[in-house]
This record gives sequence, C-alpha cells and structure tokens, in this order.
Amino acid sequence: MADVPVAGSLLVSPAPHIRGAGSSALMTWTVTLCLVPAAAWGVFLFGAPAAFVLLVAVGTALATELAVVLPFRGFTLGDGSAFLTGLIVGLLMPAGAPLHIPAAASAFGIVIVKQSFGGLGRNWMNPALAGVAFAHLSWGGALAKWVAPRGALPGTEALAPLEALRMVLAGHPAVRGSLLRVLADSGYPFSGIDGRVVGWINARLLAPLGGALPRGVFDLLVGNAAGRIGEVSVPLLLAGAAWLIARRIVRWQVPVSFVASFAVLAGVFGGLTEGRGWFAGGVFVQLFSGSLILCAFFAAPDPVTAPLSATGRYFYGAGLGVAAFFLRFYGSMDDGAPIAVILGNCFVPLIDRLVRSAGSGLGKAGAR
Amino acid sequence: MSWLGIIVTFALVDNVVLARLLGLCPCAGAPRTFRVILGVGICTTVLMAMSSLAAWALETLFLDPRDLGFLRIPCFVLALALLALLLESMALRISPALLRAAGFSVRGVAVNCATLGVVLLVTLERLSALESLLAGLSAGCGFLLALTLMSAIRERLDAERVPRSLRGLPLSLVSAGLVALAFSAFDRVFLANLLGR
Amino acid sequence: MKHAEGFSKGLFRENPVAALLLGLCPAAAVTGRVIDALWMSAGFLAVLLLSSLCLSLLGALSPAAARDGGAGLSRGRWIGSLVITACLASCFDLLLRAFAPGASARLGIYAPLVAVNCIVLGRVELAAGGLSIGRSLRDAAGTGAGFAGALLLVSVVREALGAGTITLFPIGTFGGSLAVPLLAASPARAFVYATGGLLCLGYLAGASRLLSSERRRGESDRA
Repeated sequence: MADVPVAGSLLVSPAPHIRGAGSSALMTWTVTLCLVPAAAWGVFLFGAPAAFVLLVAVGTALATELAVVLPFRGFTLGDGSAFLTGLIVGLLMPAGAPLHIPAAASAFGIVIVKQSFGGLGRNWMNPALAGVAFAHLSWGGALAKWVAPRGALPGTEALAPLEALRMVLAGHPAVRGSLLRVLADSGYPFSGIDGRVVGWINARLLAPLGGALPRGVFDLLVGNAAGRIGEVSVPLLLAGAAWLIARRIVRWQVPVSFVASFAVLAGVFGGLTEGRGWFAGGVFVQLFSGSLILCAFFAAPDPVTAPLSATGRYFYGAGLGVAAFFLRFYGSMDDGAPIAVILGNCFVPLIDRLVRSAGSGLGKAGAR
Repeated sequence: MSWLGIIVTFALVDNVVLARLLGLCPCAGAPRTFRVILGVGICTTVLMAMSSLAAWALETLFLDPRDLGFLRIPCFVLALALLALLLESMALRISPALLRAAGFSVRGVAVNCATLGVVLLVTLERLSALESLLAGLSAGCGFLLALTLMSAIRERLDAERVPRSLRGLPLSLVSAGLVALAFSAFDRVFLANLLGR
Repeated sequence: MKHAEGFSKGLFRENPVAALLLGLCPAAAVTGRVIDALWMSAGFLAVLLLSSLCLSLLGALSPAAARDGGAGLSRGRWIGSLVITACLASCFDLLLRAFAPGASARLGIYAPLVAVNCIVLGRVELAAGGLSIGRSLRDAAGTGAGFAGALLLVSVVREALGAGTITLFPIGTFGGSLAVPLLAASPARAFVYATGGLLCLGYLAGASRLLSSERRRGESDRA
C-alpha cells in the first residue's frame, strides 16, 4: 500500500491497515449477517413496505457503487461494504418512507461520503448515517411515515414511542411517574399481547410484593412497537452485537461507553428537561426505543471512522453518549443517535491527532 | 438574549464557518501545522471579541445618535484595520521573531469575511457592551472549533490516496460540507429547548 | 489578443472560485437561489471594477513608496484601499436596499461583505501597488466574469436540487420562478442549506481541476 509521502519519517495512516481483500470482506459480511435477524424481524412486523424500503436502499447502494467504481477500480461489491451501507440506511428508515428517500440517502452515502474520498477505508464519516442525516435534513417531516406493527388493532395511528413521548410531554409538563407509565397512561397503543403478559405478571408475581409494571414493558422489551425497521428489536440487535464482539470484529469500548454514558446522563438529567425532576429520565424507554442500540453497536465502532487508540475510543464513546443525550432531549429530532455519531466522526481525526502527539512523546516537534 | 443563549447561538447554532459560511478561505485553505492553525484561531478570536466591542461603541455612541447608519461598513472596516495594525505593532514590539514564526499575516487574519461578518451579525442583534464582547468571543471559539476540526481532517486526508482531481482543497470543502451536515443538528429548536423554551 | 487572453484567464484557467479557491464565502452562502447569485455577481463586478480603477489611478498619481519593507502595502495605502473598497461596497448595499429590497433582505450581510472579499482585496492590493489602469481593469473584468460564472453554475445546481425551482428576474407575465419537472415535488432541502453550498463548491473545484489536468494532458500530447 503506502507509498504516500507523509511529513516526517514515520507513516501513521488511518485504519484499516491490513487491506487484504479476504479478511476485511469477511468481517463486513459477518456484520451484515448479524444484522439480518433484526432486519427480518422488522420486515415481519411491518410487512411489505419495510421489505421495499430495504430493497431500494440496498439496491441503490449497490448500483451507485458499481456505477462509480467499475470504470476505475473494477468490481468492489464483493467486499460487502456497499451492501452493509445500504442495509443500515434501510434499517434506519421508517417502514412507510417514500422510496426516493432511502434511495437518495444510500446514493449520498456511497458517492459523496465514501467514494469521493477514495473508497473503502478512506472515508472519515460513516456513509450510512451521513445519508440518513442528509435525508432528515432534506425531507424531515415527509420521512416520518410510521407503519403500525403487525397485531396492532386496525385503525390505530402508528407513532413511534419517542415521537409520542415528545408530544405527550410537550402538552403536560411536570407529569410525575416513570416515563413508561406516562406513555402508557397517555393511551399509547401497546399491543394486546403486551396487555395480557403484563397483566399476568402484575397479578401473579408483583401484586403480593405491592409493585406493578406499567403497560408497554413487554412490547418494548421484545420489539413489538412502531419504529424504524431495524431499531425495534433490541434483543436481536444485542445478540448480533454480542457475536461480533465475541469474534473481535467489533471492539466493545466504543459501544459500551456510548450506551453507558448516555444511560447515566439520561437517567440522571433526562427528567429535568420536562420538569419532572432528577433521576426521572426513563432509561428503559430511552434505550429500548429509538436507534441508539443500532447505532452504538453497528455504526459507531466501525474501525474506519473510530479513533485508533483505546484511550481515544473511550473518550469517543463517552462523547457520543453526551452528544446523543443533548440531541435527543433538546434537539429537534426525536432520536438524536445517528446525527450524534456523525458529529462524533467529525472529532475523530482531532482525537487521533491529540492522542498521537500526547502519547508519542514527540509533542510539538512531531506535529510538524 | 441570555448569556448561555448568546454563547450557544454564536458558537454552535450560527457557527461562523459551518452555518454562516464565513471564513472559509482560512479553514479550507492551504495545509498548515497545528501550531499555526491554533495561532490563527486564537488571534481571530481575540480580534472578533475586540472588534465586536469596538463596533458596539461605534454604533451606540456615534452612528446611532447621529443617524449615520450608511457609514457603518467603512467605519467597521476602518476599526478592524486599525485593530489589526495595533496588534501587529504590539507583536513587533514584543518580539519580531514571533511575528515571523507565526506563519500567518495579522492583516489577513484581521480583515476578512469572518471578522467583518461577525461584527455585522453582533451589531444586528443590538446587544449591550458586555454581551457584544461575549458574542464576539463565542463566535471566535466557534471559528476555532471549526478550524481545528477541518485541519485535523485535512491532515488525515493528505495521508490517504484520494481521487486525484479532488485532492487537497476540493475534498477539504466536501469534508466541510459533511461537518456542516453534522452541525445542522444544532438548530433554532435545539436552542429554544436548551434555553427552556 | 493579449487583452482577450488576460480576460479569459480570469474566466477559466484562473477562475477565482473554481481554480484559485478564493472568495468562497459568498460562493457558498448566496447561491441558494439563482437570482441572488446574479445580484451578488453584479455587485461584485461593479465594486471590483470601480475599486481597481480608483486605486490604479491613485497608484499612478503617487508612485513613491508604494510598498513597505515587507511583502505588503504601506500602512497608509492599505488602510486607504480598504476604506475606498468599503465605501464602494456600502454603496452597493445601499443601492440594493433601495432598488431591490427583496434581494437585499436575502443577501443580508453578504452584500456589504464584498468590502473584505479575498478576491477584491487581492486585486485591490495589486492595483494600489502600481499595476497599470488598463491591465487592472482587464484583469478585474475577467475575474468578475469568472466569479459570476462560478456562482451561476453553483446556484443553478443548488436551487434545482434543493428547491426544485430556478428563480430569475420577473419579466412581463413570467413570474420569475421556473419549476424543475421531477425535483419540484420533493426537493432535497439540504442543498439549499450550508452543507449543500460547501459540497457543491467542493465538487465544482474538483471538476475544474479535472478539466485543467485533461487540458494540460492534451497540450503535452500535442507538444
């Protein structure tokens, strides 16, 4: 690879360092495979619209990569990165999104965020999330076409939990009680199964102890609520992520510090924004709805766009948690996670630079 | 506007480079060492703060009472130029070597779209003297943030094999566009929510 | 021939925005609409020509001690040239406010910012430093035309993709706004915001580099 001249006598280049077609392609396809359960669940829950969105997103990604790269570098679809980008874009779309939006998001990610910089391994911003952010900025409201999950009562209006929460809390400030109870009490259409399961647990297990679970625990836990195609089933996402971490394809530092710092901030300060007091953030709802888990375990730890050093990765993950907290609780979107990650991507070259000049002992001289 | 409001508005929501698109020439421009970048950023921040205060004084004490609004631009440009010369002569007196080693020209840093733009934006808000100073300072910090981010990204790009025609400034601009995409998360709604509606 | 070459240099090979990458701020900021770009180009050209003229005249009338020891103009000349340019930019801003208040409101602070535009300051420094009046004007005209061309190109792309329209001067029954067939229904608004401006500028510069390297290759093939 590197006969790229760099100032100084050492060549410090960004990841990945081993560009063998075999190993990195295998890793990428493994990540894709680990997303399949969550994707399949999304299609099962939301039906044909979800399948179309995924098809369009992945198809556009593959087609644009082929069109842009084939004349110059030959066939690169085998490395799996275009497929993965398209898949993540599709999974972050609501099932009812107008089809030109996932197409544009995929195309934007592949052409502008990835190929303009030289292709695999050379981009500094996550292509899929950048495409999603571009879609939100460009089409905003038109994007929020939720589809009611399978098994919902016919005629219920589909609304993602976070969106519903925002509306409820805007109207009635200082509503006390756990966030999930607030959501349930506002009449959010949790499923019948959820009602039966929670009712059974409350009656048989918790009544003697004096407690009671609010409605919706089962739905959110299992992933039977409205939302973006890939974000609803947290257990399936976590299972896939656990496999990736066990196989050392994904380093745990970034996702765990991301989720941990977000959870702590949301738990402690989350309630303050709506006047519900300290420690009233509703960590369960915040983690089990929205795309935080998906972004934290499948997009944020991408070695190409994450810091090189372990120290850097801790700071990066923590910073992502802070950004996600501010953007979700104060920002204009209901779910700040994708934009928090690309915001973090902007700081990665800086983090790398600072860690490098601090750790290498060369200090300012090394910076030249 | 409250102090937090001023800081968040001028540093993030209306970031000089990434939202207002001022000061692009130094940000996307020729690669420089980290130390030079820091120098440019700090110098610009100081100048933005001082010139915002000077503009407040000019506006409140001279232009407004006599209804001389049409003289605003020449007066502000003159103020910026004089401040630049002041800083230059101070630096020369402290250490001429410092000025040579700085790697940038104080005149160039002092009189450009970013500094005049910030001065005009601050004056438009009709803030008090102290608030104007804070606004100029915040804008400068926002500029410094954008500058350091862009310089680190540029350094990383220069070490990569990027498409030939896009190498250098074009890709720098595309990267700036992507950073602006990320920073678009900081919008008016964010500001309103942060300040408690 | 030499005059035409000097003019075309500013238009293509040394296009201030696309090739030299100067004056990026207005190029990214006011190109959300074609008509704004046109007004900006007009004002820019006017200020550039007039300031080049004034400062070349002054430079011709007082040739002594044009430059100080270092690389720049003497302090007096520097401040003088800045103030003259600022006055001209101010005139442009005031005239715009009087005769095209809509455009003035949309251009906002970018109209008076012509006073400190990198391109203008660069040309002004050359003019005040002793460049002949003829050459000054010719180069200024070429640069202004190049600036206008680049702005026009970027604004057409940005407005078409970002708003689905192309807004021009209303003439007679023509309301001023052309709708682009497929894009008008659901335009990608990001192109009208800051991110779109920067992206379009970057690709314009890249395209310009590609064209000039192709041309150079063509010339060396022929040679």
